[in-house]
Amino acid sequence: MVDLALKILLHDKLRFTITVAGVAFAVALVLSQVGLFFGLLNNATLTIRHASADLWVTSHNTPNVDFAHQFPETYVNRVRSVPGVSKADNLIVTFMNITLPNGAEEGSVFYALEDFSAWNLPWRVKEGSLNDLRRGEFIFMDESAKRRLGAFSTGDYREVQHNRLRIAGISEEAKSFTTTPVSFMDFRRAQEMNPDLLKGQTSYILVKLAPGADTAAVKAEIQKRLPFNDVYTSNEWASKSEAYWIKNTGIGLNAFLAVFLGVLVGVVVVAQTLYTSTMEHIKEFGTVKAIGGSNADIYRILARQATIAAVLGFVLGLGLAYAQKPAIEAMALKLIMPASTIAIVAVGTLLLCLASAMVSFRKVANVDPGLVFRS
Amino acid sequence: MSVLEAFDITKTYQEGREVTPVLHGVSMHLQAGEIVTLEGPSGSGKTTLLQILGCILSPSGGRLHLHQKPVEKDLAAVRRRHIGFVFQQYNLFPSLTARENVQYAINLKGVKGPEAKHEAEGLLDAVGLSDRANYLPRDLSGGQKQRVAIARSMACKPAVLLADEPTANLDSAVGTSILHLFRDLAKRENRALLIVTHDPIVRTIADRVLQIHDGRLRP
Repeated sequence: MVDLALKILLHDKLRFTITVAGVAFAVALVLSQVGLFFGLLNNATLTIRHASADLWVTSHNTPNVDFAHQFPETYVNRVRSVPGVSKADNLIVTFMNITLPNGAEEGSVFYALEDFSAWNLPWRVKEGSLNDLRRGEFIFMDESAKRRLGAFSTGDYREVQHNRLRIAGISEEAKSFTTTPVSFMDFRRAQEMNPDLLKGQTSYILVKLAPGADTAAVKAEIQKRLPFNDVYTSNEWASKSEAYWIKNTGIGLNAFLAVFLGVLVGVVVVAQTLYTSTMEHIKEFGTVKAIGGSNADIYRILARQATIAAVLGFVLGLGLAYAQKPAIEAMALKLIMPASTIAIVAVGTLLLCLASAMVSFRKVANVDPGLVFRS
Repeated sequence: MSVLEAFDITKTYQEGREVTPVLHGVSMHLQAGEIVTLEGPSGSGKTTLLQILGCILSPSGGRLHLHQKPVEKDLAAVRRRHIGFVFQQYNLFPSLTARENVQYAINLKGVKGPEAKHEAEGLLDAVGLSDRANYLPRDLSGGQKQRVAIARSMACKPAVLLADEPTANLDSAVGTSILHLFRDLAKRENRALLIVTHDPIVRTIADRVLQIHDGRLRP
């Protein structure tokens, strides 16, 4: 089969390049914006997703994991007594100031537990032993905090809320949505350092279910015993935290606008270049009709041209998006492009390019094949 | 045997409130293997009649029969199956080679793959252009382009060949050789050939000459 569609496309290489570049730019824009969006949201729920808790008990209406409110730590005993609960522990999440060697102060969000390894927090330890956190005046700091807090290493001392604590180890990958560095310390140490706020209090109760326990039933029973708290599954809590940031920071709207812009650019470029190309080749389309081609044959030509532009543009755009990854990661940001998102963008690119071809088709469908007799 | 018959064909064009009659009750026929020229001054209705006979235009009145049957409503399908065109401007696809131009027309008629390629090569061979099969139209002379167009018109053996001023853009020597080639092919393949022309040389190959003036065929 002679590929007239491809031959017409390649006949004007400059226009073909512009078409493919337009699609590639749109795809790269959409993928990078969506990737950054997912990257930011990922930071917002990293600790929730990595902690091995099945359920989280929070104070009523806590908006997200970083903005914790306190409630009595003794509630944990009520949770431990619920059938189906294998383990339940208190977790404090609180902001504290760290004094830097130059005298400046920076905030850090501290996760405080009695037994970190039981809850898989932190989940990646670069240096040190988590057991050291139970011995008193020690903290773990995350590697990513070096951007905000300057260089530090295991064995260094830092002042936290004007208490001199030793860095017992360094974790990796622990980040927050607000980019505030994440650190870890012993639960009792945290209470001692901020007694006004934390004495006898906790921020969350982490719950691990017994094997075979009915999650919904256990959750309902905990909720019954703690009517003034909220109980979430790990996924529900992560979704609630994400929803908070999406609704309250405008990143959702920003991502939507960027995707809309990308789509608009892609559609306009493809529609415009295909339309111009079609108009320039209108006599050829008239010839196709005159020698027996139907409107379906014409649409196949235009659809194939749109498909070629979509496929090449998508592949190039995907490459561009991946090429940005190192630069984005160098800025301590993440570009997360799940396979499902890539697949959706691929299908969307194809559909939008085909829709763009409809603009040209409307014109060609009405072409009089008799125009081939005019000189 | 008549392959194409027109009965009392009329055609009017309307522009705003103004109605312009172009053809007034034209009746004619073409027989297999017959070569007919249609002559007439500019504006006499030659091209309009050609378009109606080629199923590009629908007549305002009258009937058109192909192989003794009224033509179907799907004119594109009729053109695809029964009609071959040769145009004054050649109308080759500039991005396709000579062989691809012919092969594309064969593909449109439903023949694909090596069979279509083989037939295209055979048709180019018949018009003496085997050695130019891979040339783009821009690299061919006017006569060579028209030969490609003739080869394309013969794709899948249409019953009727319609040519619109096929020699108008060629010098007389090349035009004459094209006409003889066209005649030989039409005769050999037993195709009905109608040539619309101003060129008196075309008469030399015709079995019959039709004259049209002001939308009416002269006896």
